[in-house]
Amino acid sequence: MNDWIYSEEVKDHFFHPRNVLFEDESLFKHNARGIAGNVVCGDQMLMLLRIEDNTIKDIRWKTYGCASAIASTSALSEMVKGMTLDQALAIKAEDVAEHLGGLPKKKFHCSVLGSEALKNAIENYQNSLNG
Amino acid sequence: MTQRVYLDHAATTPLSAEVRQAMQEAFGLFGNASSFHAEGRQAGAAIEQARANVAAAVGAELGEIIFTSGGSEANNTVLQSLREFQGDSLESELIVSAIEHPSVLMAAKRLQKRGTKVHYLPVDRLGQVKLSELKKVLGGKTALVSAMMANNEIGTVQNIAEITRLTHTAGALVHTDAVQALGKIPINVHELGVDYATFSAHKIGGPKGVGALYVRNAAPFTPLIVGGHQEGNRRAGTENTLGIVGFGAAAKQVPRFINQMAKTKVLRDDFFVQISIKIPQIVRNGDPDGLPNILNISFAGAEGESILLALDDDGIAVSTGSACASGDTSPSHVLMAIQADPELAHGSIRFSFGPDNTAEDTERVMQALPGIIEKLRAMSTVHSTPHSTPLDTKRIMKTGREVR
Repeated sequence: MNDWIYSEEVKDHFFHPRNVLFEDESLFKHNARGIAGNVVCGDQMLMLLRIEDNTIKDIRWKTYGCASAIASTSALSEMVKGMTLDQALAIKAEDVAEHLGGLPKKKFHCSVLGSEALKNAIENYQNSLNG
Repeated sequence: MTQRVYLDHAATTPLSAEVRQAMQEAFGLFGNASSFHAEGRQAGAAIEQARANVAAAVGAELGEIIFTSGGSEANNTVLQSLREFQGDSLESELIVSAIEHPSVLMAAKRLQKRGTKVHYLPVDRLGQVKLSELKKVLGGKTALVSAMMANNEIGTVQNIAEITRLTHTAGALVHTDAVQALGKIPINVHELGVDYATFSAHKIGGPKGVGALYVRNAAPFTPLIVGGHQEGNRRAGTENTLGIVGFGAAAKQVPRFINQMAKTKVLRDDFFVQISIKIPQIVRNGDPDGLPNILNISFAGAEGESILLALDDDGIAVSTGSACASGDTSPSHVLMAIQADPELAHGSIRFSFGPDNTAEDTERVMQALPGIIEKLRAMSTVHSTPHSTPLDTKRIMKTGREVR
């Protein structure tokens, strides 16, 4: 009777999100911050990174959105933790969807936003170094 | 597994015990109701008994009820035949409310594509059609006004009698989609004065796939489906005997359902008070004096599909007006029409009660819901950007609706 429209992986990430930040963002020490989407459209992701030696040492995120948005951000955070910035930037929305055992077609855009927030965070970080 | 709590009766209802029994007893009625032999006559008699029950439930005469495959077909039948009423004249205009069911809105859009002028009537913040706007667009060219009796998402009940009076004065016809109203509030089509009304079986404990269209005696009518003389030449196709019998049995329960709605309303209102006490930053959508069984609430900072799926996992069935749940990009057209804040519309949940829901059901929801909202809000970005501030109470207050 529990026919979940999402994969078990999506369900698992939705109910047990990894690296999620429940507290205020000031309580996670970070040096990179990126955001994508907007609440008016129903999806928004915030990515906070602690970058050391060009590597994502730690990551936290917040998401306003549906189960696939939450699961996508959670999966992405798990995938990029420990990666170099270049490796992290190479992660595509398709990779996130694959990590989740696939997403319903209509929900694919949810996995795009997480990658955009991550990209935005890394760009902000690189700009701050250059600036 | 513990028993599920079903609070999505506006979507559909389980078969009632009476309907189940009537349908089981009708399994043997295989005859084609159009046939002259005994098998056919038996099926025909069962259909006519059901027609009597449906007619009685809505105050119609026998010959005014046409069985259809459901509410969507009944709505499409009326709207698609609009051009025929008017001799295919492109001059005829259609007026529909902005919060109609998609089967009315999409049928209207199709007519619009083919050249018919369509007016979409705005509604106020409670979801009431603005009668002043209706008066403005009603005119000699108006062929038909279609306004739903009760809204499926927010429960708002329209003043159909007044809409009908104004429309008839202008010389046009009136259709009302009464699918959600049936079994919740009393309906008498003759007292309302409408020309057409749509009903569905599966919202009142009947089976899916069967509905009815009321067509006032002497109102113009053109069939949508042709190719047979069934339903008095108004709807071709061998009758869905089993479904119609089920609808008839469900219609018989309508007076009892309506009586039970007083209790349902108390249950729903108590439930809203409990939510208001336990959960801050909520907005009630729609008219509190509308249907007694619908409660539509927006939870600021929590997205509807996430709330729905978390409740589902806790054994509770509800629905949402969020865009995500439909795979669309914009939230419910009904919530947009009542000028709900889009951010809040994405966080809307509809609880719709049936006659069998109890205080134990709402207690189960209250055990799960506050924690779900708290968790989703904690992980949400609502405090993270200047433009995304649904938790700003002042902003919510500006919507002018009930805020606790």
